[in-house]
Amino acid sequence: MSFKTFTVIKMFVVIIMAGLVGWAVVSGNALIPIPVAIAALVILLLFRRGVKEVVVDERIYSIGEKASLIAFRVFGIAAAVIGATLVALGQKTLPEMAPIGFTLTYSVCGLMVIYYIAYIYYNKRYSGKK
Amino acid sequence: MPSTRINNQIRRLRFDHGEMTQEELAQRAGCTRQTIIALEQSKYVPSIELAFKIAKAFGVALEEVFQYEE
Repeated sequence: MSFKTFTVIKMFVVIIMAGLVGWAVVSGNALIPIPVAIAALVILLLFRRGVKEVVVDERIYSIGEKASLIAFRVFGIAAAVIGATLVALGQKTLPEMAPIGFTLTYSVCGLMVIYYIAYIYYNKRYSGKK
Repeated sequence: MPSTRINNQIRRLRFDHGEMTQEELAQRAGCTRQTIIALEQSKYVPSIELAFKIAKAFGVALEEVFQYEE
């Protein structure tokens, strides 16, 4: 299967999944989206295996790594600054802003914890044993 | 800090090998055509593994494809 065919199949699967999830939300059924998402994932993985040509290589991964790092930094700094501002505003003038501020600042903390766990893991993985 | 640069002869080697297409080289080396394009334009430096694969695709030594300039 060519990558083009896979892209078309992927598009159809995503449209069907979006439709089903949308219908589930409108009808108030919270259980439907989970099996639909899993089924879509399995279908896409099965079709993905049929693609013979190389579509992802080290350059793509390298670009992804760089983009992830920039996204992490931008989000981290922006969320920390905005979060701290909202917490400060919440204590003085706008109390309804405080929960949003705390959510943002805790998100940054969580993100940093995940980053350092991943960093320690990869640092151990790619370190030579003495 | 001195600037370093890795040059390559991929474009020349492709034409020396019966005008091998970028797609064909990409298939032989196990990468995408976009990566070959980026390499030819010196916009991307490959990993050692990919460098070896490209050299193998041409049937030449690594030094014939990539040169390190200080």
